[in-house]
Amino acid sequence: MPIENEIRRLRFENGEMTQAQLADRIGMTRQTVIAIEQNKYAPSLEAAFKIADAFGVPLEQVFRWTKA
Amino acid sequence: MSFREKSAWIALIAYGVVFGGYFYNLWQGWDARYAAGLSLGLMVGAVVMLVIITVGLTIVATFFNPRAANAPADERETLIELKAERIASYTLSVGVVCLIGALLMGWSGILVANLLLAAMVIAEIVKALAQIAHFRAGA
Repeated sequence: MPIENEIRRLRFENGEMTQAQLADRIGMTRQTVIAIEQNKYAPSLEAAFKIADAFGVPLEQVFRWTKA
Repeated sequence: MSFREKSAWIALIAYGVVFGGYFYNLWQGWDARYAAGLSLGLMVGAVVMLVIITVGLTIVATFFNPRAANAPADERETLIELKAERIASYTLSVGVVCLIGALLMGWSGILVANLLLAAMVIAEIVKALAQIAHFRAGA
């Protein structure tokens, strides 16, 4: 998956937010958050913005494109 | 395991058990009894059993996690559903095309009807398997 993320680190830095708490904030299931965090699923742009908003940071601080 | 993955397992178990039994019984009694309404009686019984097993297992799954059961599907779950539907539709299409050939070759209506039912059941099982595989893989 060419899109990597910093969700695990951001969760840790935001009071050790759990995957379930993040899932509740963005309106997704915990399993989807796990899949995104493990780079198994690339979220839609809307979901990516919601995740960034949940951490209060810009999108580029959460996701980055890695060229193959 | 998400509620929707559990639902896929429920569908897989229900279709496998009920229609596995249905087609086994039909196969065993085909020559002697199918003309006497065996097929129709079995089919009605199978559909009733399918509803009972599916509803029963879904109620159990809902009991253990009612919040997840009532939540709408998120984008990944919707995507997985669509991917699985596409694979299932290909499966069903192949079955239907084959059965059109069977009809043109003069196979009996009751036999073709049961083979069509088999194609639909196989498509549902393929859909459940595809959903489970996608859930396990991540998307």
